[in-house]
Amino acid sequence: MSQDSSEPVGTISRRAFVRAGGLALVGLGFDPLFLDRAAYALPHLPGTGGKTLVCLFQRGAVDGLSMIVPQADPHYYRERPRIAVPRTSLIDLDGQFGLHPRLAGLKPLWDEGSLAVVHAVGSPDATRSHFDAQDYMETGTPGAKSTPDGWANRYCRHAREHRETPFRAVAFGPQLPRTLAGGAPALAIDDLRAFGLRSARREGSDRLARAFEALYEGASTGLLASSSAEGFDAIRMLREADPSRRQPENGAAYPPGRLGQHLMQIAQLIKADLGVQIAFADVGGWDTHVNQGADQGQLGARLDELGRALSAFHADLGERMRDVVVLTMSEFGRTVRENGNSGTDHGHGTAMLVLGGKVRGGRMYGRWPGLDPSNRFEGRDLAVTTDFRDLFGETLVRHLGSADLSAIFPGHSPDPARHLGVFGP
Amino acid sequence: MTKVTAILLAVLLATPAGAQQALSPRDSALHALNRLAWGATPGLVDSVARTGVMRWIEAQLSPEAPGDPAMENRERPFAVLSTPSADLVQEYLRAQREARVARRGDSMAGRRRPGPGERMDPAMLEQRRLRRIGPQLQQLTLVRAVSSTNQLGEVVADFWFNHFNVFQNKGLDRPLLPGYVEWTIRPHSLGRFETLLVATAESPAMLFYLDNVRSVAPGATPPELERLRRLRNAGRGRMVEQRRRRADSLMQEAQNRMPRGLNENYARELLELHTLGVDGGYSQRDVTEVARILTGWGTAPPPQGARFEFHDWAHDEGAKSALGTDFPAGGGRQEGLRLLGLLAAHPSTRHHLSSKLCERLVSDLPSDGCIDAAARAWSRNEGDIRAVLRAVVRSPDFWAPAAIGSKIKTPMEFVVSAVRSVGGEADSTPRLAQQVARLGQPLYLQSAPTGYPETQEDWVNSGALLARMNFAMALAAGRVPGVWMDLDRVVPLAEDATVLVEAVDRVILNGQMSPHTRSVILQELAGIGSPVQARALAVGLAIGGPEFQRQ
Repeated sequence: MSQDSSEPVGTISRRAFVRAGGLALVGLGFDPLFLDRAAYALPHLPGTGGKTLVCLFQRGAVDGLSMIVPQADPHYYRERPRIAVPRTSLIDLDGQFGLHPRLAGLKPLWDEGSLAVVHAVGSPDATRSHFDAQDYMETGTPGAKSTPDGWANRYCRHAREHRETPFRAVAFGPQLPRTLAGGAPALAIDDLRAFGLRSARREGSDRLARAFEALYEGASTGLLASSSAEGFDAIRMLREADPSRRQPENGAAYPPGRLGQHLMQIAQLIKADLGVQIAFADVGGWDTHVNQGADQGQLGARLDELGRALSAFHADLGERMRDVVVLTMSEFGRTVRENGNSGTDHGHGTAMLVLGGKVRGGRMYGRWPGLDPSNRFEGRDLAVTTDFRDLFGETLVRHLGSADLSAIFPGHSPDPARHLGVFGP
Repeated sequence: MTKVTAILLAVLLATPAGAQQALSPRDSALHALNRLAWGATPGLVDSVARTGVMRWIEAQLSPEAPGDPAMENRERPFAVLSTPSADLVQEYLRAQREARVARRGDSMAGRRRPGPGERMDPAMLEQRRLRRIGPQLQQLTLVRAVSSTNQLGEVVADFWFNHFNVFQNKGLDRPLLPGYVEWTIRPHSLGRFETLLVATAESPAMLFYLDNVRSVAPGATPPELERLRRLRNAGRGRMVEQRRRRADSLMQEAQNRMPRGLNENYARELLELHTLGVDGGYSQRDVTEVARILTGWGTAPPPQGARFEFHDWAHDEGAKSALGTDFPAGGGRQEGLRLLGLLAAHPSTRHHLSSKLCERLVSDLPSDGCIDAAARAWSRNEGDIRAVLRAVVRSPDFWAPAAIGSKIKTPMEFVVSAVRSVGGEADSTPRLAQQVARLGQPLYLQSAPTGYPETQEDWVNSGALLARMNFAMALAAGRVPGVWMDLDRVVPLAEDATVLVEAVDRVILNGQMSPHTRSVILQELAGIGSPVQARALAVGLAIGGPEFQRQ
């Protein structure tokens, strides 16, 4: 662990370089900020490599079976007399599976080939505890509880070729999620518009930022100095790029609420070319033990928000979606059979969506194990035929160009043979 | 005792060993208050320096610590302290049940929120009460850290809770946690490690959190299920088809929910985190054997209060062998106690724990010397925590120049020490706890059994630092809700910026302000006419600045 404290050194040296060079340039009439901006601007002209992965965590365990309905499997309808999504209202995907009607907004993305679905995906660990299973999915180490950092943070630590920017790894929310926690720098932003030093007026906030920056620059070394420098860089970059002024484009209409806000702000960061490589957002409300509903109801309402948020994000980014992949994830799925409260209980396998980038969409991925009781996990739940680490790993390799997964998913030997082929060349 | 030994002893007690040259009495007092307390309050450094820092530490370690009547008054508004665990559990179950019923009703009749003047229904009131348990416990912890005179006790209690971490939001752990903190951790945090270890192993909160309640000998059937089965079989002939199906589905449900075999979760964390440490020399076989030994360590059914119970039916009666020790068949509950004794006395455990204590109290990278001193005291005193703490603070490494100011405060340490530095107090509303959560350390909400990390890599990141600066400015301006303070009393208004900065250095930073910080603050004060604004800015910059992040 201790060696990791040396990681942000690169940031300091770049800053030192920028500062020193900047000072020299002042003499020539250049604004030192110019160089700063130039250093950031180089590698991320749109379409020149700056890839982004957006992780969207559905906390509470989404019912994959009613999100992406196995309409050809008779057990689905047999086990869910009250809450099965009727065939008549399903949006057919490939004859075997159908979209929940409240996800109608995603159908055009499926048709144009930018949306893929992986079914029967999940964790090899059998736990049905939300917090254990979320922990396992976020650390990327099912069964090992004491892993200190998240898989996405380990990715940032080991893939060092990405340019240094405080926005490389950004989580939307008040705290860093486990996925992004660890030795590599990562930002937690609850609201882009409120990031920075709070003051009644903008000048006040600028002034405070300058004062604190001066305090930290001269008086501390090591992690305190490099992290605060990143923070002030982030404030400056935000001020400069002002991502919040970018209105949704192409008629994108984000749904009201936290999820829509966060996806819109992720799109703003991407459009501002701030070097976001991994963005994280989460959305709750999937723990539908009671009155889950069929095409209407609790699950329907959550899916409606999800579908609208994703299609707005896709529309908003337009051409840029070539460089952006959205991956949804959830800690486990739900029981095949409905419970006594017209809901579903904690299960095992679920479905995940992959959207954008070079995704070969318009098809289903993963082996479908079937819902026959003899094929179920522990006789009750959808079995897992794709380990989530294989899907996450394939995404890191094929979308972000990760060369080595062994440190990112320790104990899970990376094997391209297990890749599903979700991404095209 | 001769006069000479008495004088020698007095000198030894007054100044830390080996630090006579390195540190002034004020500096050593400040260091002790940073590490063994939640920071200094105005004037406390001088008073500890006058008493003699070692004497102050001894007094803090003394089992006959004087009572703290002011603290008792502050604790009174916290209902979680006076409500028995069993009652909280009952309330929790009732609220769960009623919430389910309400949800069912809601969807049929549309949401019914009470209109103005309409009484809120009891289920909703109870829900609300339950939701308050967690925040209340968080705030109680902060009030104690800010205001208790028994500062070392509060630091050590925090250390042990974190070591034996339990996550508040895992179902029943919400109502169980107040009792866990109050009766499992706090009374034992300066006692013998083995006593504390056994207390956690017998705590419903831990057994539930790490799933030991679900760990049973393979094939074991609880008497309740047996009864249900008999009942169904007996009634079979007379039951109408519909009732039979209902009974079958109940059986099925009960069976599905019944644990079916070993759950190694607690056994693994007991070895890896609580005692031996990850490199403590145990194998997967040991984990399984320990899990077998601990089968039966469970709780009464939640509706009956979820108290600790040993269940013979769930216990694996076979012979076991763990960590090179044989446990003959039929050991029952006793073999679990024997195992815990073995673990508590194991050399790996004392090394693991000594190292963790030194990491918390001395340095992110504690030296072998310090760890060895603590481990030696551990073995000489059979894991007496006081003796181990004494060894740590008497180790030269504790007072070494490299250790002073070398650790970065955790969010809780930062918030509590900031409030203490301005002579503030926290009220009984959970608002200060929200601030700590916003800085990234929501109390009792670390879901991983590792507890919160202790080293700077985990706490220092750009977003978190900006949040600390914002907190500092808000506190200095009197804008942190739920904090009482009288800044006039500690940093009087001053027209002259130099006088003001002098006072801020003396009171808030205890003379540690660097020349650089001084010049930046003076520069910022230059254009400010209002003394009130100037003071808020100077205090805010001092608390949000780099010196105050260190301890």
